[in-house]
Amino acid sequence: MLRGLAKSFDGKVAVGGVDLDVPAGSFYGLLGPNGAGKTTTLSMAVGLLRPDHGQAWVLGHDVWRDPIQAKRLFGVLPDGVRLFDRLSGAELLAYHGLLRGMDPAVVDQRARELLDVLALADAGNTLVVDYSAGMKKKIGLACALLHAPRLLVLDEPFEAVDPVAAALIRDILQRYVAGGGTVIFSSHVMAVVERLCTHVAILADGVIKRVGTLAEVTGERSLEDVFVEVVGGRTATGEELAWL
Amino acid sequence: MALTGQATQATEVAAAPRAVSPRHFVRLKLRIMGNSFRGQVWRVVLFSFGILFGLIYATAGFFAAAAAGLAGNTDAAFLVAAAGGGVVALSWTLLPLLFFGVDETIDPSRFALLPLPRRTLVVGLLTAALIGVPAAATLIATAGLVLSAGALGGAGAAVVQALGVLLGLVFCVAVSRAVTSAFANLLRSRRTRDLAAVLLAVSAALIGPLQIAINRASTNTDWRRFLPLSEVIGWTPFGAPYTAGFEAAAGHWLAALAKLALVVAAIAVLLWWWSRTIETAMVGTASLGPAARQGTPGAPVDQLFPRILRWARRDRFGAILAREVRYWWRDARRRSNLITFAVAALFVSAMVNFGEAIWGTEAGEPARDVAASPLTFTLSMIFVGTLAAVTLANQFGFDGSAYANDIIAGVPGRTQIAARAAAFTVYVLPLVVLIAVIIGVLVGEPTWIPMALGTLVGTFGCGLAANSMLSVIGAYALPETSNPFALNTGAGMARGLLSILSMVIGVVLAVPLLLGALFAGDVWLWVALPVGLAYGAGAAWLGSVIVGDVLDRRMPELLLTITPRR
Ligand SMILES: Nc1ncnc2c1ncn2[C@@H]1O[C@H](COP(=O)(O)OP(=O)(O)OP(=O)(O)O)[C@@H](O)[C@H]1O
Ligand SMILES: [Mg+2]
Repeated sequence: MLRGLAKSFDGKVAVGGVDLDVPAGSFYGLLGPNGAGKTTTLSMAVGLLRPDHGQAWVLGHDVWRDPIQAKRLFGVLPDGVRLFDRLSGAELLAYHGLLRGMDPAVVDQRARELLDVLALADAGNTLVVDYSAGMKKKIGLACALLHAPRLLVLDEPFEAVDPVAAALIRDILQRYVAGGGTVIFSSHVMAVVERLCTHVAILADGVIKRVGTLAEVTGERSLEDVFVEVVGGRTATGEELAWL
Repeated sequence: MALTGQATQATEVAAAPRAVSPRHFVRLKLRIMGNSFRGQVWRVVLFSFGILFGLIYATAGFFAAAAAGLAGNTDAAFLVAAAGGGVVALSWTLLPLLFFGVDETIDPSRFALLPLPRRTLVVGLLTAALIGVPAAATLIATAGLVLSAGALGGAGAAVVQALGVLLGLVFCVAVSRAVTSAFANLLRSRRTRDLAAVLLAVSAALIGPLQIAINRASTNTDWRRFLPLSEVIGWTPFGAPYTAGFEAAAGHWLAALAKLALVVAAIAVLLWWWSRTIETAMVGTASLGPAARQGTPGAPVDQLFPRILRWARRDRFGAILAREVRYWWRDARRRSNLITFAVAALFVSAMVNFGEAIWGTEAGEPARDVAASPLTFTLSMIFVGTLAAVTLANQFGFDGSAYANDIIAGVPGRTQIAARAAAFTVYVLPLVVLIAVIIGVLVGEPTWIPMALGTLVGTFGCGLAANSMLSVIGAYALPETSNPFALNTGAGMARGLLSILSMVIGVVLAVPLLLGALFAGDVWLWVALPVGLAYGAGAAWLGSVIVGDVLDRRMPELLLTITPRR
């Protein structure tokens, strides 16, 4: 679905030609060290960042040529992007629902359900600015799910959420995929990726290093070992920081 | 970055801490300014423009300040010093609130975690604030007074005046910081509604006495009538630093010293006040929004729509409309813009219309109560209409990265622009009606009110179109601080230019209304309202169509320009 996506900032290459086929019904994990270009890639795939080269399709619709149709099909949890956080949780969900052109009655019903399931109903009328980091992730996820999209693009959905919420989110996503949806998400949590994903891709320095089904990529070893091998880098300190 | 360098310097060597001096703050500011120019050509261009404008103003100011003294006219020199200096200092107090914001290259709240004594922090921040084009321009312009005082009273007076000019600069910078920071705190607090009411009431109450004072003054057109007034200004901190040298030149050395002491005391008080407000901003109020409201558990969609929007359709347009209406009140930055617009509009239109009374009446002729002409009246209404729309010139910048959510949802540009304009109109329309009525009644010409309304709505509509366009092609990022007046380096210039540009465009678009006022005669009093309404609505609609299409093509680029770089 992604073809030769590339982007550089001020001459510095952030993503240098990424090809990625995300099969419908797959649970796709995108891995990579900090600064690898995951956020940049996903932003280009959903129409937030104009690529220098390449194309992105969602179920046959070009995100950059035919944005209205393509955007209808996916829900996105972007990273490093604020929500309209001076609304309360319920208001925010209502806003997103109407923005997606949904029927108000459906919006009401789904918003209530999502707030209850994600344990955000207690927050009541607290504005989203005043939510904790994990709560913000959860409400962001709820916004992405609200219009029941065919594809979910999630940037670090497990960051900052507590173990109970993480288990809940895993469950939601698994049910979603079982129901025919497709998920692509980036994460640094190997255990989650190993447990959930059918496919993984490892991105480093803006290019794909490994890609395939989970079994193809890991083989006999654990995902973490493969990741460290592909990415390189040190995992232990030597003489430095002795003063700490 | 330099900031972290500072941090380690302050914390790491706990055993033998090196003192942090203002020099560090200056270096920090210069470094951040330098970094912010990297690879951003337009910023460099804007900054150069800023320097150019600053130089032009400074030179003009310098000669204006020096002229009277060099010509040997003691009274005129004193008047220039008091009035000119007073105006400069007052501009430093008010303009940041209205148009330019304050340059928060160094954000005070970034220092919250560093073990710095309050004194060091405030003195350092003040020193850093002294670096910049406006401060340099002010210094050059007011330096003309040194020449003036020296010509009148010799070297001694010149030295006193030089001291005064330097102190005056420090006072200006300190007052601008203290006032914006205190205002920011007030606007953040939950009592904003009261504050807005108080400000409006005070400015409305001031109009009455102002009218009387101007009427008195207008019976006598000789400029010397302002001398007693300038004496008074000279004894306020606003005029004191600039008149000290002239007291010395006249031989009143004691008065000169007293004036300098007055300024020093004022600066001390301001700095104390500023440090207090910085501290409350740094600790207490973590919440950027108003308190969580009580109750109203209704359906989510109904919660989103405020009471005045019950009628709105529950669709995309309605959703953006409702969110924007909520945001204009809940976001401190937008709210401060709204409030300052309301106060400024009322004040300026009152001033313009009563100002007519001074210049319009012949000396000796018994002054009419107020002498306003339909032309100045129309002009002032055009000004208010365009000023209202200028608030939208960076409407997407208010959102910052949150705008990404609308892009992801695939909102069509036309809907986006139209809904935003409509939401702003929900606030501006009542204000504008109020202003038209108040000014119309005060001027003593209630029959002009329909014309005023027509002009206001017409220009406001044109302004909406012009500013929507600017907000798409000229957007810039606002820093994510709690100070609603804060701007990034160089953005002050951008904001100023953008405001001026949008006002010019708005006025040009409103020319037909002005022509109507000039040539249509008495009929205009009655046709102005329908014509203005149609003209404004048409312009706003056409604007939303054209700008919407531009927006459709530029969404990601717009997002990139308004995302603050952290
Ligand atoms: N707006 C920008 N301007 C300049 N460079 C940028 C910008 N956004 C990202 N980059 C650069 O692009 C590279 C990739 O960044 P990206 O955010 O995609 O990484 P990531 O894989 O999401 O990292 P993380 O795991 O830390 O979230 C980085 O080197 C970053 O410095
Ligand atoms: Mg990332």
